[in-house]
Amino acid sequence: MPDNKAIEAIGLQKTYRRGAKAVEAVKPTTLTVPWGQVIGLLGPNGAGKTTIIKMISGLITPTAGTIRVGGYDVARQRAQAVRQIGAVLEGSRNVYWPLSAWENLMYFGQLKGLRAAEIKPRAQRLLTELGLWDRRHESVGSFSRGMQQKVAVSAALITDPPIILLDEPTIGLDVEAARTVKDWIAHLARDEGKTVVLTTHQLEGAQELSDRIVVIKEGEIIADLPTAELLAGHAENRFEIRITGSLNGTVLPAGARVERDGDQTRVLLPPNTDDRAVFAALERLGASGSGLVSVARARPTLEEVFIRLIHSDPADHRERAAEVVA
Amino acid sequence: MSTIAVPIVFKTRLVRTELVKGLRLMWRRRSMVVVGMLSYGMSYLGISFFIGGGHLVKDLMVRTLPALMAVVVASVATVEGVGGISEEINGGTLEQTRLSPASSQLQALGRMSALAIEGLAAAVVLGIVFVSVVGLNFKLQPAVLIPAGLTILDAVGYGLVMTAMTVRVPSIGAISHVGNMVVMAFGGMLVPISFFPHGLEIFARFIPTALGVQSINTTLAGHGLGATWSDGTLPWLLVHAAALLTAGFSLYAINIRRAQREGGLSPR
Repeated sequence: MPDNKAIEAIGLQKTYRRGAKAVEAVKPTTLTVPWGQVIGLLGPNGAGKTTIIKMISGLITPTAGTIRVGGYDVARQRAQAVRQIGAVLEGSRNVYWPLSAWENLMYFGQLKGLRAAEIKPRAQRLLTELGLWDRRHESVGSFSRGMQQKVAVSAALITDPPIILLDEPTIGLDVEAARTVKDWIAHLARDEGKTVVLTTHQLEGAQELSDRIVVIKEGEIIADLPTAELLAGHAENRFEIRITGSLNGTVLPAGARVERDGDQTRVLLPPNTDDRAVFAALERLGASGSGLVSVARARPTLEEVFIRLIHSDPADHRERAAEVVA
Repeated sequence: MSTIAVPIVFKTRLVRTELVKGLRLMWRRRSMVVVGMLSYGMSYLGISFFIGGGHLVKDLMVRTLPALMAVVVASVATVEGVGGISEEINGGTLEQTRLSPASSQLQALGRMSALAIEGLAAAVVLGIVFVSVVGLNFKLQPAVLIPAGLTILDAVGYGLVMTAMTVRVPSIGAISHVGNMVVMAFGGMLVPISFFPHGLEIFARFIPTALGVQSINTTLAGHGLGATWSDGTLPWLLVHAAALLTAGFSLYAINIRRAQREGGLSPR
């Protein structure tokens, strides 16, 4: 591997012409992904995630900037660059539905320049591990959505590429199928050392899988930090009390937030509540007959951080980014 | 990573890979091909009855049947080429195929080779049916393979131009349908183009497959390749086929590059 960077995008920008109008899908962006890292690329619909993924894979030509994949310039060394990549793209079939799973894997393997003899053992392994071996000769069109997505993942991995681009790979999948795909992404990253760029709206999964989170809003990166650091950066000095049952009319400090979570109630005390106020609240809750489950310092979820980030003023992010650079 | 083959070997394998995929997809949709063949066969039969005043004029059909076969090749190349690319854009497989180290022209070559085989197979079946059922008598000779091969290339070139336009032109379905009707009307399937008024005959010579059919008919009539070369039909056919293929491959590459700039390899 030529250097420590699996993906290096410098000054990446994409502007589409829509008649006389210019739409800036991705504002000048620099993004580096080291080998072996799992990066979660998050953002609302239309933020520019898919455009970035497709520019990295050479499917969309950037208006400005350079992209190197595995050390190869995507514009100038396309043939070498695409050999580094396997991709599952958003909202598409990715594979030929009239063909069987086996025929698809053979086709996509050969399309990348491998011989049939090289593809067969890997196809067998992938289809076996994903539970498709017994149905390998059936047309993909006859499969369930989850199985079709597994074939798409297998096709992306058939040449054993070091970099995997996954654009919403669990979209439209039921819970079990989404879990299988998620487990596979974890397996690819942890056991096979793949570099993974993942876009998803399932933030719980992204938090679980990603070493680093990049949040994009209106074509601009507004946060780019290791997952733990991002969550810690948005942690607040507030306590979370979990009780069984409901509040039963207990009076809580002004600004406290109450949420039902299954058969439990989550009470989030206001920021900077002092210890005495916490004990007082616990006493009142105890007196109301509620059972105490836990008291802990509140840790925001990625979903909460994400919502906060995308509803904040972009100028704040630019200032914060400038401070980090300085 | 696995070993990478030397470029020329890879290129050959890639064309074969695309060809095999195309034939497999065709086999899965064989009912569509059969329906298309029946449609052309019935139209040809109806037109032949109409032109013969309620009879099948065998001498005329001997000269129009090669045109029917050429129209079938052109039609398969166009309809399947245009439909295939549209489906791949909407289904997302076109993007996946572009994640290959191969050039778009090489992929188009494999794709069109499959369509040529598919069209030729359909045309041969129709030809055999008409020859055996109507009792047409052809004096087949090896020399006819040259204009026949060039006619196939001409038809596939036309199909490739239409296929290439699919990437850019949303209404290509309607355009290609009109194109196929023009090929059917002026390509010699209704009456040989030598029966046309002079001005119309000149116009017809620009229509895909028309020169090829004329050249095939001259050769089948026993005049040999020399005659079709010296009357200018064969050299012009060569130029016509080369021009269409060059235009098709260039347009395909240009439109794929443009689609990459505009994000048009997938539905927008």
